[in-house]
Amino acid sequence: MIQVPPYLRKGDTIGLVCPAGFMAKEKTDACVEILGKWGFKVIIGKSVGSQYHYFSGTDEERLADLQEMLDNPEIKAILCARGGYGTSRIIDDINWKAFRKNPKWIIGYSDITVLHCHLFQKLGMASVHAPMAGAFADGEDEFVLSLKKAITGNELSYTIENHAFNRTGEVSGPLIGGNLSLLAHLTGTPSMPSLKGAILFVEDVGEYLYNIDRMLLQLDRAGKLKNLAGMIIGGFTDCKDTITPIGKTAYELIADRISGYSFPAAFNFPVSHDKFNVALRVGLNHTFKVEHTQVTLKGKP
Amino acid sequence: MLRRNFLQRLGPLGATLAAAPGLVAFTNEPAAKRGPNPPYLKPGDYVGITCPAGTIDQKEARYAEVMLGRWGFKTKLGNTIGKNWNQFAGTDEERAADFQRLLDDPMVKAIIFGRGGYGTMRMMDMVNWEGFKKSPKWLVGYSDITAFHCHVNRNFGIPTIHARMAGGFGTIEDESEISLRDALSGKPEVYRWRPLPLNRQGHCEGILVGGNLSLIYAMQASSSELDTTNKILFIEDVSEYKYTVDRMLMNLKRSGKLSKLAGLIVGGFTATKAEGEGYFTISMEEIIFEKVKEYGYPVAFGFPAGHQRPNLALKFGMQFQLNVSNDICVIAEPNGLNPMLPIPFGHDSITAPIDSLPIPL
Repeated sequence: MIQVPPYLRKGDTIGLVCPAGFMAKEKTDACVEILGKWGFKVIIGKSVGSQYHYFSGTDEERLADLQEMLDNPEIKAILCARGGYGTSRIIDDINWKAFRKNPKWIIGYSDITVLHCHLFQKLGMASVHAPMAGAFADGEDEFVLSLKKAITGNELSYTIENHAFNRTGEVSGPLIGGNLSLLAHLTGTPSMPSLKGAILFVEDVGEYLYNIDRMLLQLDRAGKLKNLAGMIIGGFTDCKDTITPIGKTAYELIADRISGYSFPAAFNFPVSHDKFNVALRVGLNHTFKVEHTQVTLKGKP
Repeated sequence: MLRRNFLQRLGPLGATLAAAPGLVAFTNEPAAKRGPNPPYLKPGDYVGITCPAGTIDQKEARYAEVMLGRWGFKTKLGNTIGKNWNQFAGTDEERAADFQRLLDDPMVKAIIFGRGGYGTMRMMDMVNWEGFKKSPKWLVGYSDITAFHCHVNRNFGIPTIHARMAGGFGTIEDESEISLRDALSGKPEVYRWRPLPLNRQGHCEGILVGGNLSLIYAMQASSSELDTTNKILFIEDVSEYKYTVDRMLMNLKRSGKLSKLAGLIVGGFTATKAEGEGYFTISMEEIIFEKVKEYGYPVAFGFPAGHQRPNLALKFGMQFQLNVSNDICVIAEPNGLNPMLPIPFGHDSITAPIDSLPIPL
């Protein structure tokens, strides 16, 4: 049912764009170099290094750059160099006609959650939730390398250790998710997937603990949690608290919020704004197994 | 099966129509969306105070009690006052039970909430609204209480009051409190305020809804989601980043909540956060106006309500006229406005003009 764009081979071209926040061009140098080392050509879009206030260009400029990458048949994957905020300001103006005929991988996380959800819900297209250009600065660690595996058609298999809040079980279903703030932001819009039967993964950064609770409650009250097959809880880094503390950690709040449901859940999965951020193929079927000793997530190409 | 569902749905609708025959006058609203108005308060009536989110202490409750007493009302204090469970005034169950007690108490004609913070939507689904639907009473609050405003408006069409809460009452009665007293007592609301450059002129009429933008947003796609069609939407917020406000408004826009408004009233967007946001140099007014610029309805910035002084009372769920012109903005209940009278700026029971900049609390 879900359409899978062709996996990349050596010599293929990857386009680099900034559909949201501003990023200095030199911050993509390491990324361009490593992608080259992997055997890919890189085209750097006009939005990389361009700036309009907070954004990497006006809505029109960012849209035009992304559109050009989507329409160019030479480009086999689009790597979003940075998130921030701004993808949802242009998403309704994207023309998907050429992309539907000639699908390609769209890569990124954080604000790019907008694209992942929209691609899944409106186009039935798989995409890759993975480290972006900034992550390449530390060289080819296992997280950056997992992106290479994801776009070249390897099986993705991640095994992590147990967490006290985990709930055991084995399920399979399409993997969907991303940044919790962006999932909340999409709720009520046409880009939001139903999440029925899905394995949902969430992560966030720099949020107030009460807001993490509120966003999860929002998803729950919108019926987005009750029919999940499973849930993967990634990093909730740099959380903030109010003057009167909420008295619980992010993981405690999340565990409370899903306590009424019986689906398996795994905490502390390496998907986050920290460097612990493995590549995940959104939309593809995965098996998710939570045992007392360990957690495995597997997805065939 | 379908037919039975239909009849079941028709049942309460029929009852509502019978209970409030006057509602047919609201021609641009489906009749089913309008519940009965809560009765206005008379001297000697009881006002309940409870905390569905953050708590207030006994001293704050005492100030409110004195003020309400001055207006001729008696007070019933809930047991969540002074109670603490982390950042909440008790557990979700305790806060729901305290609210439920006052909601079902026939002596209590209005409930003024203690304060906002966060927590109303954590206990809201535990509330049984059956008694309230039959004999509604005024629910008063703002900020986190927007969850109640949205839920009650969407599900029951019963008016509520967006106003200062018990925790904000001081020893001196100011215009925010006077406006609440007038709202509770049934004095038709008429407010005039100074126009701002990004206003869009025009005249409209519709039911006033809204509240805190973050909470309107948090209700999206739930059973409490605000229906904004043909409504005058009021929004305010505090301590948010500009990009977050932009993102929340994009959610409302992309879900069709801004395209069919009768009008938009923007209250205070105060204590905006800026750290790490040096490049977001677009003004809050520009951010808001950008989301509605393609539509034609009137837009009025700078209404004195929200996390600021003054925070004038607004009756949500009731019909209002909004007039935005070059030299004045007016919002008024249809029975409150005599267009022939020369009128000063500000709340019409207050002599001092409201021209000061909002002061964050």
